[in-house]
Amino acid sequence: MEPILTVNDVKLEIEGKPILKGVNLVVNKGEIHAVLGPNGAGKSTLASLVMGINGLKEPTGGEIVFKGNLLNGLGIDERANLGITLAWQDPARFEGITVEEYLKLSGRKNPELDTLECLELVGLDCTYLNRFVDETLSGGERKRVELASVLAMRPELAILDEPDSGIDFVSMEDIANMIKVMRDRGTTVLMITHREEIAEIADRATLMCDGKVVQTGSPKEVGQKFKTMCVKCEVRNPELVGGKGEN
Amino acid sequence: MKTKGALDSIGKKFVQIGLPKELFVKNKFNLLVDRNKVVVRYPAPGVRSEVIETPTGVKTKVYIEPGTKLEEPVVLCFGAAETTEVQTTEGEIVVGEGADVKFQVYGAMAEGIKLKHKNKLKVRVEKNAKFEFLDLHYNGEETFVELETETDAYIGENAYFRSVFKQTRGRAGKVKIVLKAQVDRKGVAVFETKMIGKRDDEIYVEDVIHLNGEESRGISKSRIIAVDQTKATFVGETYGNAPRCRGHIDCSEVIRGKDVVVKAVPVVVVNDETAKVTHEAAIGSIDKKQLETLMARGLSEDEAVDVIVQGMLR
Repeated sequence: MEPILTVNDVKLEIEGKPILKGVNLVVNKGEIHAVLGPNGAGKSTLASLVMGINGLKEPTGGEIVFKGNLLNGLGIDERANLGITLAWQDPARFEGITVEEYLKLSGRKNPELDTLECLELVGLDCTYLNRFVDETLSGGERKRVELASVLAMRPELAILDEPDSGIDFVSMEDIANMIKVMRDRGTTVLMITHREEIAEIADRATLMCDGKVVQTGSPKEVGQKFKTMCVKCEVRNPELVGGKGEN
Repeated sequence: MKTKGALDSIGKKFVQIGLPKELFVKNKFNLLVDRNKVVVRYPAPGVRSEVIETPTGVKTKVYIEPGTKLEEPVVLCFGAAETTEVQTTEGEIVVGEGADVKFQVYGAMAEGIKLKHKNKLKVRVEKNAKFEFLDLHYNGEETFVELETETDAYIGENAYFRSVFKQTRGRAGKVKIVLKAQVDRKGVAVFETKMIGKRDDEIYVEDVIHLNGEESRGISKSRIIAVDQTKATFVGETYGNAPRCRGHIDCSEVIRGKDVVVKAVPVVVVNDETAKVTHEAAIGSIDKKQLETLMARGLSEDEAVDVIVQGMLR
């Protein structure tokens, strides 16, 4: 398997507080890779570091490499133009921009862009094309539009931060199918989640806890560990992650 | 032929600053005024008008007959293709009972010209009528206009009036816009201002809505993008004077530049215990999350800012 993203001993401190404590992660080209872990594990921080958002352009230590390119210090648009994008857990709203315009902006370098198909894949119909990407969309609708915009862009690596949040249980199947379509069309997916049932659609999974990687393996194995460990973590059982847990 | 020649020559200058070419090619104007000369005048069905040229501009009186419903907007243009010291326009519009019309008004000041433009407009929207007034301003990047415009509107029972002032291309110049409305029972007034100021432009916008009738409604919305050394002030005043009336002031100003000075002053007054008037104001730089979202799709920072700003001004 060919690695597309390599996170090598990445450390991050914010105001002297260690957030990531030497994360190692390899994401292979063409896979859906779930990063699983409880709230506060550092999953979204890792996603932000890969995309360079929230002011996190460079880790305190270690390196992030995408297709042989060192990402440390690169701007968000530079990373996007290398083929990376990110779908936010709680996406931004845009006044005066229609869903169709948003999808076209996202897919402006995709010669095969079909905006309607992107919407249909996330369970929305053509009536949404003329809707504005603003407060008039519900949280779930906005989330679907965000995922549709990633489909429109057709990146080489899509980071999906909690793609299931705000989506009702019945519609999760749509989203799971969409993520598989994304992979089948050549996009590698790095999916951040804290629910093991979502991680089950992945090809491989990594468990994070307390700013560190605990295990990488099959989603089943990792999901099992997550269930076992996180129950114990709630009662503060830090030896499971080989160090001190959060207090 | 004379009209066509004048229209072609004016059209060239106005298209250069962004007016749609189609307006001139198909001569879509019901009225076109260059400084103080009427260049085109073409009647619209159900609309009676009187236009008088004055030494510095024009005076117009428009009466829309009751029940008139027009699918296409009435298209007007008040502009200046050449520099002139002052252009003065005065207008009176009465929208008869039950009518439903839209005016698309272009204010066009050709590239490089300098002038003072003063405008006074009185609007009366009668019972059950609907009137939309889209005031679209186009200036060149090197144009400098001192604009003073005042609109005084009465909105009758169950009537609707929407006024949109838009200046999203070229320099704003020194602008003072005052919009006032008296709203009767179940009437609705909507004021929207969308502007961009650059260099040392000065923008002052004042919306005053008096909700005098029971269950009347008023919305005052402003979107101002202030760049470079622009000074911009928005004053939104809404008075809830009647039972169950509702008003809302929504002001959002984006600053792009260290020397920008921006101010928002919402004034909310309620004189009836069942009335409700709310306001929201936001002043600040471009939203970081919006910017990062678009950049994560491959847009440069400048491109992303442009998309966000144009969306706000839409």
